[in-house]
Amino acid sequence: MASNYVLPENYKDMTPAAPLDKKTLNKMVWRSLQLQACFNYERMQSAGWLWGILPGLEKIHTNKDDLAASMTHNMDFLNTHPYLVTFVMGVVLSMEQSKAPIQTIRSVRISIAAPLGGIGDALFWYTFMPIVAGVTAGLAQNGNILGPILYFVLAFGVQMALRFWLMYWSYGMGTAAITSLTKNAKEFTHAASMMGIFVVGALIYNMGSGVKFDMVFASDATTSLGQEEAIGLSTNVQAQLDAILPGIVPLAMTLMCYYLLAKKGWTPIKTICLLLVIGIVGCIFGIWASGSYTALVPVPWHA
Amino acid sequence: MQILQVVLLAIVTFVFAIDQFSLTEVLYRPIIACTIIGAILGDLKTGLMIGGEVEIIAIGQMPVGGAQPPNFVMFSVVACVLVINSGLTIETAVAPSLVFALFGQYVVTLVFTIASGLMDRADEAAHNANPKGITTVLNIHMGILGALFAVIAVVCYFGGQALAEPMQNLSTQFSWLTAGLSAAGTMLRFVGFGILMKIMMAGDLWGILLAGFAAAAIFGASSIASATLIYIAFIGVAIAVYDYTSNVKVKNSAGSNVGGMSDGI
Repeated sequence: MASNYVLPENYKDMTPAAPLDKKTLNKMVWRSLQLQACFNYERMQSAGWLWGILPGLEKIHTNKDDLAASMTHNMDFLNTHPYLVTFVMGVVLSMEQSKAPIQTIRSVRISIAAPLGGIGDALFWYTFMPIVAGVTAGLAQNGNILGPILYFVLAFGVQMALRFWLMYWSYGMGTAAITSLTKNAKEFTHAASMMGIFVVGALIYNMGSGVKFDMVFASDATTSLGQEEAIGLSTNVQAQLDAILPGIVPLAMTLMCYYLLAKKGWTPIKTICLLLVIGIVGCIFGIWASGSYTALVPVPWHA
Repeated sequence: MQILQVVLLAIVTFVFAIDQFSLTEVLYRPIIACTIIGAILGDLKTGLMIGGEVEIIAIGQMPVGGAQPPNFVMFSVVACVLVINSGLTIETAVAPSLVFALFGQYVVTLVFTIASGLMDRADEAAHNANPKGITTVLNIHMGILGALFAVIAVVCYFGGQALAEPMQNLSTQFSWLTAGLSAAGTMLRFVGFGILMKIMMAGDLWGILLAGFAAAAIFGASSIASATLIYIAFIGVAIAVYDYTSNVKVKNSAGSNVGGMSDGI
């Protein structure tokens, strides 16, 4: 739509507004949950973002033209991490309150939102959530209702604590908060990745050991011996592998997926399809342990 | 009774669909969603166990930078219907559920694409300083997303029941196929791990990966096996804090040697 609206350079009312009260700040923290409620590929989180800070903007801009200007520039493209968005909110609100030039607010907003997205992904999506899932999924698999309850308490509790703390911290410090946050961002991301990779290593063993070979080669002598002795003479492939390095199968398969995804540029879907083929072909030839089944091709190692 | 189930399933799916991106962003996770869907279908305990299984597959499959992973709300709904209503085993239900998860992924992509059309409406509201207009835009988006998912969930509910008998026959006649699907189902998590590694791996972290693997093996064989991942998290925090503080120290001391800010004055 071709709009005739022209965004001014500055707000009409340049008197700094009174600081926002606690009630409004809390309201915006809760509203920040709706950041992605109107997610789209054109401007991603923009409308959800604007809806979140609207209570503050309405208090700050009592002049209707100023409110229109502020709402309009807050419809800019925005993509940041949902758990960290209140940090951006606090900074932007403190600038709106002091009636900073509109272009300055726009550029500060986008320049902190984007890196926070990266930090948040590494810290929450790739480190924190897998740990929470790893701890609680085991409980759920054993039929313990504490699994989902603990998951909710941890995931929701941590994000709400963060949202409140970041809002008050960054609103209180204003733009000064940016330097203290971005100063060591690179080191922070590295440390988070380190923890994440350590946890992935643990998950490979902890959750991957269900994948096993089921191949038993009976030795030639079995026919002349009784059942008891025959077992002693047979060679179980998985038992041999476990004697060398338990967990070698999940480790090798994860490394294969990593190689295909990272070095060969495969999409996750393509990799998933490959695993489906490996699983089915493996069971056609009776290679994988997967309950009791009859292999399609009769093979000597599968009963 | 069945009508009540369908209505409840549609309602919770409506909420989960929205929850994927806003609200709590936690309720939709398979571990919670499957438990709730299980309760609706009359078997909370099985739902709980499905949730644990699906949650592990979902590790690493997170929406990042607007790119959509397979949709785990759809995955949860179909897996629960196939296991609880159709009597499949959890492992065997994984592969067919994945097909629906991919379909769900396209539905989300579609909604995010057409929602770009709402931006004009939001701009209009902004130009007129009309906060209610923004609220309306958000509600329209959530309504479309929730409704689409609710409809698909109802279709899956009936489709899953129709599939029950052929799937049962399949699993007895072609035991190698269902066993293969089960085996593949337990392997899917390696893709999630691979994605995590692709994002975080750096040359200096290979040792850390093996250290985590080794630590889990040691704990796994000990008497505290059930708390393995909690202890892993403790060690992980220690490593991360040490890495952060020492790197910051190194950077700061390097900065002071050069002379930093005073040079230009």
